[in-house]
Amino acid sequence: MIRITGLSHRVLGIQDLSLPAGRVAAIGPNGGGKTTLLRLLAGIDLPARGEILIDGLPPRSREVGWVGENPGQTILFRRVFDEIASPLRFRNDPCPLVADRVKAVSRELGIMDLLERGTGDLSAGEKAKVALGAALAAGPDILILDETDSNLDQESTGAVEDLIRRASCSHVIQATQRMDLAAQADHLLFLEGGRVLHSGSPTAVFAALSGTPFSPPSRVWCR
Amino acid sequence: MRVFLDDMILRRGSFRLSASGLFSEGVHLVTGPVGSGKSTLALALAGAFRPDAGHIVKEGIGSSTLALPFPEYHVTGETLEREAASWGLPPVPVLEAAGLRGRGGEDPISCSQGELKRLVLSCILARNWDLLILDEPYSLLDCTWKATLSGMLGERRRGITVLLTHEDENLPRVDEIWEIQAGRLVSLGKVPGAITRWSRPPGYIRAALEAGALPGNITPDDARDAVCRTQG
Repeated sequence: MIRITGLSHRVLGIQDLSLPAGRVAAIGPNGGGKTTLLRLLAGIDLPARGEILIDGLPPRSREVGWVGENPGQTILFRRVFDEIASPLRFRNDPCPLVADRVKAVSRELGIMDLLERGTGDLSAGEKAKVALGAALAAGPDILILDETDSNLDQESTGAVEDLIRRASCSHVIQATQRMDLAAQADHLLFLEGGRVLHSGSPTAVFAALSGTPFSPPSRVWCR
Repeated sequence: MRVFLDDMILRRGSFRLSASGLFSEGVHLVTGPVGSGKSTLALALAGAFRPDAGHIVKEGIGSSTLALPFPEYHVTGETLEREAASWGLPPVPVLEAAGLRGRGGEDPISCSQGELKRLVLSCILARNWDLLILDEPYSLLDCTWKATLSGMLGERRRGITVLLTHEDENLPRVDEIWEIQAGRLVSLGKVPGAITRWSRPPGYIRAALEAGALPGNITPDDARDAVCRTQG
């Protein structure tokens, strides 16, 4: 359970919010506070006021995997293999284990052919996959994805979704502009103007947003 | 006004993209999976680097620009209004168009990436470029602004617009579709005929085709109208 109380930070104000374990999607207009919330949940920023507890602990005491909106900005190493290996090497995992884990994650992401490539030569979508590989390599408790899918095509998004489902993270929090993905979450948040206007099951939240562009694609086309 | 790709080859390490063909006036959609070379092609069309073989011949092109996928790479102004002014544009209407009215004094870094992208796209689309290259313009935009952008692109009447994207939920009306297939840029021709030759159409187009309907163009409305016509 994620518990947020008395939170005030930049544009964001949340008095009281509980989020269940599992997959949480955050949707809403640009500038609504999604990235601000995700950065706080990841422990990248500390709240100016208020408290966030994830299963009773502050975010910085948890193992968090993070992929930002521009994955190129968080890449540190020149070679893809080294980038994905970095969180494992930072915690001094033995070399054979690092190599096995990098290959396993890369195989699942379909990026084995990128391992020896330079990170500077990758496309935005490839960088997103590499950043996700690095985020997942250390087996995080909490995975946070800030519109990662906006850099991915349909096929890659499907592969990433499969991988996230198989990863044993207790919490996956994902900001997205893809309403079809948001509809698959266990819990949905709608943020606008720094406030959580809706929080609940995707069915309930999408019912409240009916008639807005924030609706899942419908197959019922003709009235 | 035209851009002619004359047996062009682009190489970056083990990556290789070949392209031949003609971009004439109108809106051209270039699609392809992640890593297929869309951004490399965009940079080459913009003149950021020369092809490793062949040529890019531009005729009658007086002005051109490239919109990059990540808006922060465009920003030079210390405030949003100075950023608009740096494009030679009056800040107030541009900020209005970007949905950022009254925020001209803010630091661009304080904006969300989506807001910054709206500003950069509004600056770019406020001018009539002979050659407009848009690399993933939909990424980072929310659902409302994706639809707004599609409307704006669909209204471009003059010049050559090359739209390179993997967007699959909200595409604009286009004149011609291109696809990058196994390292080669392939023209699928003009719409609507090109739609039937599209190997990776977005889900709503695929659904229309599977329902036996050929959309007149590639917007979600075109797909819906085609299905509804088929169903009487």
